[in-house]
Amino acid sequence: MSNANTPAGADGQAVAHATRQNALRKRSSGRLMIFGFLSPTLAILLFMVAYPIFSLIYYSFHNFSALRQSTMKPVGLGNYQYLLSDPELWERFIFTGKFVFICVSLQMLIGIFVGYQMQKNFRGRDVIFTILMMPMMLSPVVVGFLWRYMLNSEWGIINFLLSSVGIAKVDWLGQTNAALWAAAAADTWMWTPFIVLLATAAFRGIPETIYEAAEVDGASPAYRFFRITLPMSAPVLFIALILRLIDSFKQYDLFVALTGGGPGSSTQTVSFSVAKTAFSYFYTGEASALAVILLVIIIGLSMILVRHLTRMGEKY
Amino acid sequence: MTHARTSTIDLAGRWLVLGLLLVYTIYNVGPIFWLLLSSFKSRMDLFTMPPKLFFTPDLSGYQSVFGVGAAKDSASAIGVFDSLVNSVIVSVAGTSLAVFFGTLAGYVCSRFNFIGKGDFMFFVLSTRMLPPVAVLVFYHLMFARLGLADTRFGLILVSIFANVGLATWIMKGFFDGVPKEVEQIAIVNGYTRMYAFTRLVLPMVKGGIAATAGFCFIFAWNEFAFASILTTTQAKTLPVKISAASGATGIEWTQICAAGVVLIIPVLIFFYLIRKHLLMGMTFGVLGRS
Amino acid sequence: MAEITLKNLSIEFGSFKAVDDVSLTVKDGEFVVYLGPSGCGKTTTLRCIAGLVKATHGDVLFDGQRVNDLSASERNIAMVFQFVSLYPHLSIKENIVFPLKARGVAKAEIARKLDWVTDVFKLGDELRRYPGALPPGARQKVALARAVIRDPAVLLLDEPLSAIDEQFREEMRWELGHLQRQLGVTTIYVTHDQREAMSLADRIVLMNDSRIVQVSEPDRMFFDPVSVFAGQFIGSPSMNLIDLVPVDGGLRLGDSHVTLTAERDRLPQWALSSKRPLKLGIRPLNVHLTDEQTAGVSLPVDDVFSVGRERFFSFTIGGNLYQGVDKRKSPSGSEGRVHFDPDGLLFFDAASGRRAHAEEMA
Repeated sequence: MSNANTPAGADGQAVAHATRQNALRKRSSGRLMIFGFLSPTLAILLFMVAYPIFSLIYYSFHNFSALRQSTMKPVGLGNYQYLLSDPELWERFIFTGKFVFICVSLQMLIGIFVGYQMQKNFRGRDVIFTILMMPMMLSPVVVGFLWRYMLNSEWGIINFLLSSVGIAKVDWLGQTNAALWAAAAADTWMWTPFIVLLATAAFRGIPETIYEAAEVDGASPAYRFFRITLPMSAPVLFIALILRLIDSFKQYDLFVALTGGGPGSSTQTVSFSVAKTAFSYFYTGEASALAVILLVIIIGLSMILVRHLTRMGEKY
Repeated sequence: MTHARTSTIDLAGRWLVLGLLLVYTIYNVGPIFWLLLSSFKSRMDLFTMPPKLFFTPDLSGYQSVFGVGAAKDSASAIGVFDSLVNSVIVSVAGTSLAVFFGTLAGYVCSRFNFIGKGDFMFFVLSTRMLPPVAVLVFYHLMFARLGLADTRFGLILVSIFANVGLATWIMKGFFDGVPKEVEQIAIVNGYTRMYAFTRLVLPMVKGGIAATAGFCFIFAWNEFAFASILTTTQAKTLPVKISAASGATGIEWTQICAAGVVLIIPVLIFFYLIRKHLLMGMTFGVLGRS
Repeated sequence: MAEITLKNLSIEFGSFKAVDDVSLTVKDGEFVVYLGPSGCGKTTTLRCIAGLVKATHGDVLFDGQRVNDLSASERNIAMVFQFVSLYPHLSIKENIVFPLKARGVAKAEIARKLDWVTDVFKLGDELRRYPGALPPGARQKVALARAVIRDPAVLLLDEPLSAIDEQFREEMRWELGHLQRQLGVTTIYVTHDQREAMSLADRIVLMNDSRIVQVSEPDRMFFDPVSVFAGQFIGSPSMNLIDLVPVDGGLRLGDSHVTLTAERDRLPQWALSSKRPLKLGIRPLNVHLTDEQTAGVSLPVDDVFSVGRERFFSFTIGGNLYQGVDKRKSPSGSEGRVHFDPDGLLFFDAASGRRAHAEEMA
């Protein structure tokens, strides 16, 4: 800026100076706000997440038990080697994988089907919708106990209903395979409403004229569903899918209440194994290594999720 | 309306859909109904075959949950009612603080660009995805060392950490829905950014804050994994207490069912109050913004 | 191609009658435009022909066959919607061939048809792109391509040009008219824009308040309106409507002192002797300024504005403002002589608003 050209020489300069200072102050007040507003959250998360995770990684390279905290022997990758060569751990992963696969498939299938019906407007829709959402609102422990109670082989309501239509009693929680399906039924019961919620929203977000255009274009209901409805709601359904993948993969509460990991250790998920190793056997180092493996998987899935969430956030 | 032409296949398809919906509704609602019914059953009625639909209600389950006239399991343990009190204290305190911090962080994430914002947002959300048992391996040691084990304060701390990420994301979603011009006009008129935030923007997202609080409360209230590992006697919350509700004669089903009903009531109330924001809460503030 | 007949068609939504007892035949290959203000029932009629809305009473016939109970996909119609209805997740090419694929048409046939519409609509560059990347006008062109690709019996267009920029709209209108004549497909077009209707239609169906007001060719619609509504809805600026009071030897204009006389303004005898009160309808282009003392009536005149060679002016009768159009410069001063072209005089029954004719008024 040239002073000679400003009409009121010195005054103009003073004004310009003040404005610049104002701008500076504003920028620094913005920085202050960022810092001030973020720091409590950041502090809590650093203390409660970052610190524990780094400690976990540290422990995972040591032979260490919470019971004898004074003796901590570095073992390098020993814990990981041991875990990865342990067939029992692979069993846990296979069981967890089966559980995740059954739960997520059932929940997506049923959720999309029910959501597709719920997108239509009909009398009493809101009331029915609210009732359908109820299982999702229960504590997972209550869900576990409720199903354990209903699945009791002697006096449970489910076996009673089955026997009344001539099906022999099933020892649901006493056999590995039956227990897997029982747990999947409970998890599906609890979380299908979540898929219904998201699917309904996604389907209702498709403009009516798109359906009308498809109808006029001669698309059959099935063709319409697979060529229009599903692809157009895919981004939302994908988020629902990833969320369910993550949640069912780390499922712990339900199994504590429903099967207690049994029969034997056959219905222990990876999470359950971590808890058992850490808090029953107190093999803290080994548990840490397993926890780190679990974390890597979950963080990988979360990264996919966040990328899609951010993309959706920009779109809407 | 006129009669649409209906072929047999259409008709069969429609009945099939209705049938499947009916089966799902029974699957969905039945267990809740059974929970409610069983919470009023006496020990005798619980195990009767065939199960009874009509019986004399027995309130012993609710009496023990609310600490009326029921004996404690043992002298050292707290009663079920005490655990209910713990649940209320931990959830309310944890929710309030998580929402407070989350509101501040959510505002900054909505309005400012700063270095590492994407990473920060990911970090914040990943706390929601974290398997509790993984961090518990460390908390278990840390809490013992810091004297936080089996204290409400420790649980409140965990509750804040577990919910602040969710609160940040949902609140960011709500702040994104407020036009940036609100602050720009205030700043042009000589007000500070802080004034614009507290006096203009915050009142505009009141509903959002309430909804966020509702969500955090539901999660804090139902939380089990952390509380079950980090408490032993005194600080047990209701979900933890009922998981250990096995007396001399096996599991106290009536008591568990009654506790389940008591646990679901505040959730239902919150659920009803925040029903409009359900979608936002479940998708971290990304979908269903209105 | 098909002939479409509506027989006493009524469509009700609850207690609201959206379409009330409408009958009409659209001939094979004809271009019919439904015109009317918003909410008059024109779009509902179109959607009923499409099969998207059910008739409450009456029938829809395609070539004499009752189609009431056929769904939209069974009627062999194509439709272009007011707001863009392309499938956003499909490329332009996928959008265009969607109706063929949905019906399981053979691949070779699809390719042949695609080549044809690509050629007709000059779409080559856009085929690989997605709807989101195209401007609204281009999207509607694609929607039109999608509509005609499978030789529909009827082409239904619901205000297809209303979301497009003015300039592109003109171009599209011209192309659309050309295309329709080329294909010879029976076309029903809904619009609230009378200029669109006038320039495109073989016949215009004017609707108001859920009923048909008038069905006729554009020219007759303009020169021979059946009611005040028809007269005023068509033409811009709108038709003037002036109260007439019978006086000795003529008809006085409203509250003014000005009288139209039988011989100078060539008033028909039946109008002079009408027992019912009449209103005069006259289009601005039939109102001129004149210097001849004998030719017009003296009225206060304002110059309003000129567009090209035309000069729009207004004149006052009894406090009400009316409009006229003239090609010449008006005489100076605020008082001018206004000439009402005798050929442009339209008489309406003041009570019903219907056109008054000699026979009825005797």
